[in-house]
Amino acid sequence: MTAHADTLAQTRQFAGGRRNIAGPSADTLRVWPLLILLIALFDLPLLFTLGLSLYGKNGFTLAHYAELLNTPAYLGVMASTLRVSLIATLVNALVGYPLAYWITGLDPRRRGIALACVLLPFWVSILVRTYAWIVVLGNGGLVNRLLQWGGVVDEPISFLYSEVGVTIGMTNVLLPFLVLPLYATMMRIDGRLTQAASSLGASSWTVFWRVFFPLTVPTLAASSLLVFMLSLGFYVTPAILGGGKVAMAGNLLDSLINQIPRWEMAAALAAVLLVITLAIYFAYARLGRWSRA
Amino acid sequence: MREQRLVLAVIGVTALAFLMMPIVIVVPMSFSSAQALTFPPPGLSWRWYDSLFGDPDWMEAVWTSLGIAAISASSALVLGGLAAYGLDRGLQRWRSLAEANFMAPLIVPGVITAVALYFVFAWTGLLGTYLGLVIAHTILAVPLIIIMIGASLRSLDVRIEQVAWSLGASWSQAIGRVVLPTLAPSIVAAWIFAFVTSFDEIIVTSFVAGAQTTVPKKMYEDLILEITPTITAVATLLIGTTVVALGLVHLLLKRGQLPSVQTGPAAGSTHSTQ
Amino acid sequence: MKRRDFAIGAPFVIAAATLGSGSVLAQPKVIRMVESGGKSGESIEVAYIKPFTAKTGVRVSREAPNPLGKLRAMVGSGNVSAALFELGSPSLAQAKALGLLDKLDWAAIDPLPIFPEARDDYGMGFQYFSTVMAWRADAKAPATWADFFDVDRFPGKRALPDYPHYLLQFALIGDGVSADKVFPLDVDRAFRKLETVKKSVSVWWKAGTQPPQLLKDNEVRYAISWSTRIVDEPTLRFTYDQGMYDISWLTVPKGVEPAEKALAMKLLHEVTVPENQVRATEIIKLSGNSVDLERLVGAEKFATFPTATKNKASQFRQDAEWWRINGEAVNKRWETFKLAL
Repeated sequence: MTAHADTLAQTRQFAGGRRNIAGPSADTLRVWPLLILLIALFDLPLLFTLGLSLYGKNGFTLAHYAELLNTPAYLGVMASTLRVSLIATLVNALVGYPLAYWITGLDPRRRGIALACVLLPFWVSILVRTYAWIVVLGNGGLVNRLLQWGGVVDEPISFLYSEVGVTIGMTNVLLPFLVLPLYATMMRIDGRLTQAASSLGASSWTVFWRVFFPLTVPTLAASSLLVFMLSLGFYVTPAILGGGKVAMAGNLLDSLINQIPRWEMAAALAAVLLVITLAIYFAYARLGRWSRA
Repeated sequence: MREQRLVLAVIGVTALAFLMMPIVIVVPMSFSSAQALTFPPPGLSWRWYDSLFGDPDWMEAVWTSLGIAAISASSALVLGGLAAYGLDRGLQRWRSLAEANFMAPLIVPGVITAVALYFVFAWTGLLGTYLGLVIAHTILAVPLIIIMIGASLRSLDVRIEQVAWSLGASWSQAIGRVVLPTLAPSIVAAWIFAFVTSFDEIIVTSFVAGAQTTVPKKMYEDLILEITPTITAVATLLIGTTVVALGLVHLLLKRGQLPSVQTGPAAGSTHSTQ
Repeated sequence: MKRRDFAIGAPFVIAAATLGSGSVLAQPKVIRMVESGGKSGESIEVAYIKPFTAKTGVRVSREAPNPLGKLRAMVGSGNVSAALFELGSPSLAQAKALGLLDKLDWAAIDPLPIFPEARDDYGMGFQYFSTVMAWRADAKAPATWADFFDVDRFPGKRALPDYPHYLLQFALIGDGVSADKVFPLDVDRAFRKLETVKKSVSVWWKAGTQPPQLLKDNEVRYAISWSTRIVDEPTLRFTYDQGMYDISWLTVPKGVEPAEKALAMKLLHEVTVPENQVRATEIIKLSGNSVDLERLVGAEKFATFPTATKNKASQFRQDAEWWRINGEAVNKRWETFKLAL
């Protein structure tokens, strides 16, 4: 990586050593309040619930997992969930990164306005925002009425009730989760670094890709991961804007808990989803540590 | 260079317009005279504001939602912030496991968490209580805090902190005077995310909230989402309040009455070169 | 059948029982009820809870929503906090099979005359709702499900439920099965019929508010919808002919305190009083269980309600027991069908 990052890594090692003398236990202790809360009120009940997936008539069994593997429909739903979440994450990153970068370069007053524009939609409940998209993009919606009035098209264009509609709805909800952290990181990058690179004759393109962008990668990775994990849990927005054609695990789990009900299958499905996502998370954490070392 | 800036500006403005689109629709609808959500509104009226302020159930739902969101976001921030710091600087051996554990509430599907929490709350008497809801929402907000604060701690230049140590600052001094101001934008963003997550949460809430009502619960019926224009009035009021609050902060900053906010590098002016 | 799930809950139930014992001997001042919320909840409050509280002095705290999972968790946790729990008919069948319910004490309820099908050992049917075909006023009006599913003679996009238990029946009738012989469902045949229309389906809806909205926006021309959502829409048409009526039930979770259960029976009595039901019809266009409701409301005004004599006769009834047995297999089939869309 860059020279700056190397220095940072060395300093960190040094700082770590310094802290070891002061007592690493003090820092470790700071993890405990949250850990205790989670273990008592989340982990244990969750293990009990997920444990249902390993419990059959005669005690321990893997039958529910075998059933899951033999049910192509459920595996298909899971694959679809991962795919839709991945698409939403990619679109978010492609739109969110330039947006955050652009905001960083604005003058303070415009920056304030732009940030307000990112924050304000948070106040509109996701359900209401989903309905707002129907008003905007539906057959009788604003966009189609404008297009028809302007003579651009004769028949309304179908934006909604497809994967496109789902992506639009999810991106709208999730974009701030990517933009705000990126903005915070970009604002913290020491301007002198990019200045120094420029003064050494590097083009602005080179400065961006060789100096600026690498410094934002940890945050870009972290917030993309956040967006991905949030996407996995979506289902009201996909159910409505996807016209029921885009399968999400949340939906299936709801019917396995509340309608059919087969809690042990729901638990098996949730456990598999948890393992897959945690594997992605570990890969991310490993990558982060590797890039720092 | 000029073209690059132009392209960037076009992307930026388009993206902002995309983000603001629902608001542009929702705010006028709150002043609509129509019974259903139609746009543009056929006529103007205050009826949805009347129905909001005139309905104690709605007012209760709004206050409950705001209160629970504020308390749970704050407690998640304190607990999660400490833990993120501890993870970054201290814990070595079980670190990945602890991190993964903190992520779990975000990954485990809502309806599974709902069932799990129902059992533990039923046994501890937290079911249907305000405290129970606060705890549930705190747990759900933890991953957002950990991931946000964790990422910004990782990109924090440790040398700044180190200087404070070498000058003999205590841990709390170094944190309070150096780390917190530097991380302020990330901390604010993390708190907002936690707040909004709580404010929009419905799946776990509908299981454990008992007779407590929150704003999303008011809209959610079995199999039916009842979107009345009252909810657009709620959204409009919150948007209005935020705009006023942001405006006030801006004015105060301009008069220099909040100098401490300026200490973070975020307020630095070295970015004009980008 | 699925009792085994409860074996694992047993140690926790015992733990909970030791924590929270100490039974209440005095009459409770308030009982709790879990119901579906919204307008329906409002109608329960005004029509049934008000007279109940006036007579007994006991308040009723309502809680919504009412997923089956919540009932199961409540009974499984051993902390049965609600005296009444509203369930849809498929959920009632599931809850009975899982042993989650207490029998009602019909002698204590002492009901006024109600429809026979609203009386079950484990529940009182209190609300009738219908699933019907609906269309835009400017579309060619279908008379039967055969018309509805004929996309050549009745062109235009469709909105169908994303719930097989409110859809497959209609596909079969559309394919020529007579309404009184639709159960047991021929699942293969139903899916074959759906294959022929799936290209014309623009939305598989999840929320009851969707179909009227989609029709009004001209997003679709034909839809299957709950009747309540359609009756008051001037630009939309619908028919109860070949529609399906279904019942929502009030039940008592297993393990509720006897004193609370006794009060719940008194509340259920109020639910059978036709004068109370009239008040409910003023809030939501769903029928109560009284045979006298039509007479009290007036036949003309009642004509748009699911249990008007004419409407009830032209509809068939949902078979929840069939769904309890076959629901899971159908659901797998349903997911497969939708993944291939």
